[in-house]
Amino acid sequence: MLLALLLAPFLLLLLYFIVRPKPVTIPIKNRHVFITGGSSGIGLALAHKAVSEGARVSILARSLPKLEEAQKSIRLAHGVDVAIFAADVRDYDAVQRAVNDAGPIDVLVVNQGVFVPQALEKQGLDEIKFMIDVNLMGSFHVIKAALPSMKSRKDRRQPASIALVSSQAGQVGIYGYSAYSASKFGLRGLAEALQQEVISDNIYISLIFPPDTETPAFEEERKIRPELTDIITSSGGLLKADEVASKTLDGIKAGNFSIPLNLEGRMLTIATAGVSPQSSFLMAFLEVALASLARIVSLFFLWSAYRSVAKWHFQKKGA
Amino acid sequence: MVLSLLLLPLLLLLLYFIVRPRPVTIPIKNRHVFITGGSIGIGLAIAEQAAAEGAARISLLARSLDKLEAAKQSIQKAYEKVEVSIFPADVRDYDAVQHAIREAGPIDILVVNHGVYVIQELENQGLDVVKFMIDVNLMGTFNVIKAALPLMKDRKNRGPASIALMSSIAGQVCVYGYAAYSATKFGLRGLAEALQQEVISDDIHLSLIFPPVTETPGLEEAMKTMPEISKIMVGSDMMKAEEIGKITINGIKCGRFSIPCNLLGQMVAIATAGLSPQRSFVMASIEVVFAGVFRFVALLFQWH
Repeated sequence: MLLALLLAPFLLLLLYFIVRPKPVTIPIKNRHVFITGGSSGIGLALAHKAVSEGARVSILARSLPKLEEAQKSIRLAHGVDVAIFAADVRDYDAVQRAVNDAGPIDVLVVNQGVFVPQALEKQGLDEIKFMIDVNLMGSFHVIKAALPSMKSRKDRRQPASIALVSSQAGQVGIYGYSAYSASKFGLRGLAEALQQEVISDNIYISLIFPPDTETPAFEEERKIRPELTDIITSSGGLLKADEVASKTLDGIKAGNFSIPLNLEGRMLTIATAGVSPQSSFLMAFLEVALASLARIVSLFFLWSAYRSVAKWHFQKKGA
Repeated sequence: MVLSLLLLPLLLLLLYFIVRPRPVTIPIKNRHVFITGGSIGIGLAIAEQAAAEGAARISLLARSLDKLEAAKQSIQKAYEKVEVSIFPADVRDYDAVQHAIREAGPIDILVVNHGVYVIQELENQGLDVVKFMIDVNLMGTFNVIKAALPLMKDRKNRGPASIALMSSIAGQVCVYGYAAYSATKFGLRGLAEALQQEVISDDIHLSLIFPPVTETPGLEEAMKTMPEISKIMVGSDMMKAEEIGKITINGIKCGRFSIPCNLLGQMVAIATAGLSPQRSFVMASIEVVFAGVFRFVALLFQWH
């Protein structure tokens, strides 16, 4: 115990020198923030927040009416106009046109996402394909479209950001989320590799891991969610969209690779740190110091989840 | 230090009671093993190992009928007793997959091993190539599992079953050039963690295998277009397909959720244990004790 206390400052010092990528600040004010899935929910909240911090904002989504409504609500709240682009992220040409029309991007927020929770056995392949196409392939489309101009941007000394909105379901697979988790886990593979490829262009990748968030899409999801999914995810917490937006922007500005949004999320992030980058030597220290505790907590979570599964099946058979 | 030594047995005891799902043994002998991507490389090696361990029936699914015929011949020459069925199909074609699985009959061990990999900077990689990997590695896996699951759930007292997914060390750690490939392999893990919770009550057990770079025809193809940086990071320490085949079958028999294939892989598995299930209380204790050390090593790796 004493030994650990003595070692702590040495560890902190060592980590201060070791952490890569090096810490960075990514300004939002007067820069161009491009948000996909920006017409409602978390995306819209992010647009509001970015506008309030002085950014020039573009939002992309499928529905033109919803985009216009979003534009109106931002104009009313902040007196500023955001640029709107109607496109389906599954359509690469449409995405590229929108990205080109929008102009050079400083902060790309890949936030579009769909989720249909269902046990894999019952889930239709069309729904699975929908989630993978929109959440994963769609993200590749957006990044491929934006990357060339981000890499060749005029002021390369100013760091740029590509932020991907994942989910707590992108850190742990949960009953009912096999396809959704597959698509969100995939974003992490993409992000970790991409960070190595774009660091020399002063571009920073961030992955955001929201828990359940109060949005219109979530309201829809709750209606069809399997009971077990409800039971197991209840431990992740529930946040409001604007809380998610604030913390997300803070994380993007700090250039953090992993951005959890509540205490449970932080525990999950420490547990699943794996081989992902960490720019903050303080966070790195916490990750190392709390790793063991995090794994114990994870094992307890799994114990609880599997007990819930067993109990539910037992009750079903009894009834 | 002394305190930790005293705490260790307590930790072991605690974890003995806590680990879920509980440990299980999944026999191979006299059972039906169905392997996608089974005509060459790691898939064929797994088939040969299953035959060596007394599987009654082995079914191979792959695209090329010629390669399937060659594989069937080579297995039957070495292991006379085993019955080998071959099914030419593209995993992207659900109807073809379903047809093959129905013809094959009830499956005890489903090894979803097919995969393609093209390693390149995302900036330079065509979206058609990205789509190819996502369609085959991820969507193709969903197709196979969806087709097999109803029959596997309905198998009437045939003992514990296994669904084993071939991931990769690139599904735990990401390296330059691997954005699309890693995306598909990370995705398999999300699938597996969720699916395990859904099928545990049917006595079906998920496994994820994480081979490092392995000498296979697939690798030869990938090396042709691999960027230099990726080649360097990947290193030259390659494993052989036969070794992976043995390790896979052993891991499936022990019902392990995560199956690494060498020492480095084991360390990476501990570092990336995350929220994955761990049935062995001994392994769980190792994961807990060394979690901090491995995170530190992972951070050093980033620095380097």
